[in-house]
Amino acid sequence: MRRVAYYKGCLASLSAKELDISTRALAPKVGLELEELEAVTCCGAGDIHEAEPDYYLHLNARILAHGEATGADTLMTVCNVCTLNLRQANWQLQKDEALLERVNANLDAVGVPPYTGSIEVKHLLWLIAEGEGYELLKAAAHKGLKGLKIAPFYGCQILRPSKILGFEHPDRPWSLEAIIEACGGEPVDYPAKIKCCGFPIIQAREETALGELIQPIEQAYEAGADAMVTPCPLCHLSLDAWQSKLKKTTGRDFRMPILHLSQLIGVAAGFDESELLFKRHVVPVGPMLDKLQV
Amino acid sequence: MTEAAIHTEAQTMEVALKIWRFNSETGERELRRYEVEAPEWVTLLDVLDIIKDRVDGTLAYRKSCRMMICGSCGMRMDGAAVLACKTRMYELASAGQVPVISAMGNLPIIKDLVVDMQPFWDKFNAMKPYLQPGYVEPPDGKEHLISQERMNVIHKESLCINCGCCVSECNSMEADPDFLGPQALAKGMRFVGDPRDGAKIERLEAYNSEHGIWDCTRCYFCTERCPKGVDPRDAIAKLGAESIKEGIDRDMGAKHAKWFVKSTETTGWLRETELVPKTQGVVSAIKEMKFAMSLARRGKVPLPVPPHVAEEVGQARALRDIIAGQGRDGALGIVQGERALGRIEHTDSGGARRDAPEVTPGEEPVQRDIGEQPGAPS
Repeated sequence: MRRVAYYKGCLASLSAKELDISTRALAPKVGLELEELEAVTCCGAGDIHEAEPDYYLHLNARILAHGEATGADTLMTVCNVCTLNLRQANWQLQKDEALLERVNANLDAVGVPPYTGSIEVKHLLWLIAEGEGYELLKAAAHKGLKGLKIAPFYGCQILRPSKILGFEHPDRPWSLEAIIEACGGEPVDYPAKIKCCGFPIIQAREETALGELIQPIEQAYEAGADAMVTPCPLCHLSLDAWQSKLKKTTGRDFRMPILHLSQLIGVAAGFDESELLFKRHVVPVGPMLDKLQV
Repeated sequence: MTEAAIHTEAQTMEVALKIWRFNSETGERELRRYEVEAPEWVTLLDVLDIIKDRVDGTLAYRKSCRMMICGSCGMRMDGAAVLACKTRMYELASAGQVPVISAMGNLPIIKDLVVDMQPFWDKFNAMKPYLQPGYVEPPDGKEHLISQERMNVIHKESLCINCGCCVSECNSMEADPDFLGPQALAKGMRFVGDPRDGAKIERLEAYNSEHGIWDCTRCYFCTERCPKGVDPRDAIAKLGAESIKEGIDRDMGAKHAKWFVKSTETTGWLRETELVPKTQGVVSAIKEMKFAMSLARRGKVPLPVPPHVAEEVGQARALRDIIAGQGRDGALGIVQGERALGRIEHTDSGGARRDAPEVTPGEEPVQRDIGEQPGAPS
């Protein structure tokens, strides 16, 4: 077992509890022992980076310090936005000694252990897309997906900016496809899989956001996808919960089931509803599951 | 073999391109394939020149300086905006790949690879991209001295060459063509952050318009594509931070951002259910009630009581209090300086790359050691 510090972020604690539950069920099957960080806060979601950037840096340094204090070498995330915010802060702190010194002095003043810069932030997706995690995944996904057509949706902040994310090519990513294949599904290719779901501005600029949201859903639908899968709970919320608004504004009713990464693998691994919690989705997942029963 | 023979035989290669041809007058559109013999060192722009000289004189594209300064030759290669003069073709051609070349996105195409830049310049001009007078003259009549730290805040923004690669890929602009966009806003930050400018507040007011700062969806395509390292998304974040610092926070986007600060200070985690009324106001939130109820039925609207409170959340509040007096408020809080500017190699410790080294759209091709160049005299 590989022990990792687990930073679940806001949504997996709140409106996307199903992400946390299914991640916990999945972890031991792919060789991960999760040590949940309790004394941590929100990463700021890009909003604090925009509102009070120095506070954003300190909040994330505090999270990294708590992660490092567990003794693990990896801090695991399950959200694109957490991944970028934490990696960006880590990148800055690791490359700038004077900055790290200043931030550590402030952390010390409020009783947070100093951060040395030793922990790496990695998304669950990266931990299971290659290496031992991938081998274990293939074994765990024994029930398979019977060739269901699954549209991978990466979203933005797990790919760009690549100088900070850097796991895979930002224009030609492969990790979700590899996982879909390992689960016995057929990956569907479509151009908008690396574009924005509109979530960051869905409250402040709903019309613009819906103009972005419709692209991946429409393209996945037209490519014949049975479902879409995403590594990000914010993408999940916008693709799943705001689909009804697309129906209202464009008249198009896609009824596209949206799965968290951990749920898709969970289906292929034979998890039951108590570990998947599809009842918490707005768009029913039933039609996709029915195809597996045939 | 003689040195001359090596030069003539080993230093050319076959380059094939598919180019989207378009004529806005007739509406004709065609993907045409071209193959030419070219030196191994050619850029995409060189290949276009060879095609135009030797194969098809009707091909239209813009160019001028050939050295990444003028910003004329922005176009798309395999769907990603690049400067043609910065894009070496060796890796792609030797891998036998045939990239598709097309005009930039988000701008009307005039002919082939030439776009109408007028909408781009209109937004650029709307930013008033020049210093406004109004600063206080030094009492001794000498020149102003400005610290390096203050100029670092606008260093990256000053590198812009107006090529349009960021605008080409902007996801918000696809959905809202009136969005001021990454180039104009980065230019705006270049003046907002300049201590010599006398119109900071007026600028921030203007950039907080409906199609301004808070229309950015943080897709980071601009930052990814910029061939000069401007990082427009960071520039937009700086404008947001300066707006909030100056109390220009009436926009829903600013209220949304401020609610995250409040949440981390009080419970540590986002107070998700209160985010809608705090962003949109109570009246608008009530109008959204039917939608909210449809989400509530699925557990998507967690009850705010009892609040979900992080352990030791007092530390976050104390941190915010401490840094408030350290002079890094607003845009100064975004990490600047040469370390932040440095280009980082594509592979980070996030994981090993499965794909082989190749030419990445928008990035430098893999640097080859001069001594190892194929065909180089040993």
